[in-house]
Amino acid sequence: MKSFLKNKMVLASSIFIIVILAFALFAPFIAKQDPSAIDTNAILSGPSAAHILGTDTLGRDIFSRIVYGSRISLSIGFIAVGIAVIIGLFFGSVAGYYGGKIDTVIMRFVDIMLCFPTFFLILAVIAILEPSIVNIMIVIGLTSWMGVARLVRAEILTLKERDFVAAARVMGAGDAWIIARHLIPNAIGPVFVSATLGIGGAILTESALSFLGIGVQPPTPSWGNILMDGKSTLGVAWWLTVFPGLFILFTVLSYNLLSEGLRDMLEPKLRDDRK
Amino acid sequence: MNKNLTDRKKIPLIMAVFFLSSAFLFAATQDAGEPSYGDAIVVSSISDARTLVPILASDTASSDICGMVFNGLVKYDKNVRIVGELAESWEILEGGLVIIFHLKKNVKWHDGAPFTSKDVLFTYDKLIDPKVRTPYSGDFERIKSLETPDAHTVKVTYKEPFAPSLSSWGMWIMPEHLLKNEDLNKTSFGRNPVGTGPYKFKSWKTGEKIELISNRDYFDGRPYIDRYIFRIIPDDATIFLELQTQGVDLSTLSPLQYTRQTGNNFFREHYNKFRYPSFGYTYLGYNLTDPKFRDVRVRQAINYAINKEEIVKAIFFGLAEVTTGPFMKDSWAYNRDVKGAPYDIARAGELLRGAGWLDTDGDGWIDKSGKPFEFTVLVNQGNGERLRAAEMIQKYMEDIGIKMKIRIVEWSAMLNEFIDKRRFEAVLMGWFLSRDPDNYDIWHSSKTRQGEFNFAGYKNEEVDKLLLEGRRTFDESKRAAIYHRIHELIYADQPYTFLYSSDILPIVNSRFRNVESSPIGIGYNFIKWYVPKSEQKYR
Repeated sequence: MKSFLKNKMVLASSIFIIVILAFALFAPFIAKQDPSAIDTNAILSGPSAAHILGTDTLGRDIFSRIVYGSRISLSIGFIAVGIAVIIGLFFGSVAGYYGGKIDTVIMRFVDIMLCFPTFFLILAVIAILEPSIVNIMIVIGLTSWMGVARLVRAEILTLKERDFVAAARVMGAGDAWIIARHLIPNAIGPVFVSATLGIGGAILTESALSFLGIGVQPPTPSWGNILMDGKSTLGVAWWLTVFPGLFILFTVLSYNLLSEGLRDMLEPKLRDDRK
Repeated sequence: MNKNLTDRKKIPLIMAVFFLSSAFLFAATQDAGEPSYGDAIVVSSISDARTLVPILASDTASSDICGMVFNGLVKYDKNVRIVGELAESWEILEGGLVIIFHLKKNVKWHDGAPFTSKDVLFTYDKLIDPKVRTPYSGDFERIKSLETPDAHTVKVTYKEPFAPSLSSWGMWIMPEHLLKNEDLNKTSFGRNPVGTGPYKFKSWKTGEKIELISNRDYFDGRPYIDRYIFRIIPDDATIFLELQTQGVDLSTLSPLQYTRQTGNNFFREHYNKFRYPSFGYTYLGYNLTDPKFRDVRVRQAINYAINKEEIVKAIFFGLAEVTTGPFMKDSWAYNRDVKGAPYDIARAGELLRGAGWLDTDGDGWIDKSGKPFEFTVLVNQGNGERLRAAEMIQKYMEDIGIKMKIRIVEWSAMLNEFIDKRRFEAVLMGWFLSRDPDNYDIWHSSKTRQGEFNFAGYKNEEVDKLLLEGRRTFDESKRAAIYHRIHELIYADQPYTFLYSSDILPIVNSRFRNVESSPIGIGYNFIKWYVPKSEQKYR
């Protein structure tokens, strides 16, 4: 029963994610209004037929802004996590495979990175660099690879003792070949799970940065940006806060649930244990 | 408060500016109760102060605090007349070339040392010292000599007639005995000031609050309110939440809050709202050393392309006025014959074509020698109205094919890192002006050093000449003619695109009594504000 419910949740999450992906890919077809078209006659109007989710302080259509904002949020999520996964795979596999001093150095470095309060590190870096979408992606990526590195290292530590690795070595395969062709493919399952989780995290980080005004710069709509605008009008225009807030909430939640679903799927052992 | 002081200085910003000035509106008739000492007032500010060295203070927050801690020789009374503050009286001789101030004799610095003419001489020496990065030197460079015949007399002789001479002595006076061996640009006095004013400095937690306590020996009478707490809350929405929980007693509302969020019973019961035109304006300023903006046609085109009426309507709900020049609308210096450029995109396009900017590659953005027209406007963080104005301007720029980026920067970083160092292309900012229309510090071509106010790098020989002439002329109608011409010339040159002058909308907790409006604001009689014993909130 429990797993049935859970499957439903995973299904719902997947559907929601697909909807958001569709928003991002087909934004111009889904949102008919220009997300940055200012309409001074429709400032802060509530949800209506003309503007189904209402308008903001400049009379811009919230629905259009959310739809276009999904592009920003998703691309930051995917690319930042992509960067994190690549770095994490590299350091994790090198550390796990070679062990010894290399392992110690890399893992202590990971520990050091984990000691920084990531969000404040990002704040500081963005304050020095210019806030732009590319910078945000890179900075989030560079500060969130440590989890992946640890996961990969742990997997490889056990995998490298297996017979198929010894067999490959006997056949004369080099280290790089073994890592790339034999170890990483076998270690990738948990990485997927953690990456899916990471996408949700990256979207949240971007929203928080934009909410503080140092993330995505106007007029590019991002969910955090729209929220920021809503903060000063909370008393008179609830729709400005509630809708982008719900989108952030459900997107992040969906990625989290999806990642759990993936884990159950990719690691049947774990699932069995739980039963 | 201290409106007196702040009003007569030029302060580079508008942010949500607090109670700098005051209201015309209601002199609310309140149940008076007995004036009694005690309680504290919590004032909110969006930005922290930069320095409390009074002659270096050029932003609103610093000026607010300096206005409580320091005094000038003169100040404005509520009817905008100049009256003595540290000066008991003065004589104006030789057709305005000489002013003799007779100082008050019972004035003491907060550390107990007596205030004397030496302090005035010291302040003057620092104002004209080229090593001191003060933006106010312009008013004092016209002085030939400053003599101190005795401890309570100051004789100022000008090289030539100088119309704003008397009002310029509203400049805050600094203590010689504490500062004579200090480098003012670096001194720790900037974080621990000692003045003669109604409040003494107590503590400053950076980015959090500045606390002052009342000066019981104040020469003008002990202020009723014992403590003045200046809380730095860098966000409009948070300030509003604090108002709703009565955590803040004095603040400034945004137009949206004024029109739509404070009409309910809670606010009617616990607060008094005020509204009056500010003595300031907001503009889009250019870095004129930037090759893109060197051509006047480009700046004129931008002016045609911005629909200011729409900005006033959409963002300020009418609580602002479109302005065309560097003076305030209700001043005699403002030239009503300067007609603002109408909103006219076609005309803007023509001007840009004339300047060589065309969309040659058909991508929708205009370009010249292969480079698209692209620039970044700096906007300070936390000022919702300004950010929205910037977004509207961005849209207007898009309409004429200019790609404008907005960069939000924290206020003090914006001044220190970008404006003072001239590292900007364009900026959306505001000025608070002095009552005297002398605008020398902002527009004269000599005022372009680091920290000085002509950061746009404006240079027009006729304006330079007229600025000097304006301050040499005492006759108001002749001065008006000069400033009207300056207004015309500056408008034609468009070193700034003048946007709007927004009303100031202060709100004060109703437990404070004696809060009165006047032509110069609600703050002028701050030391007379009080809270009846039974309503006092803080011990």
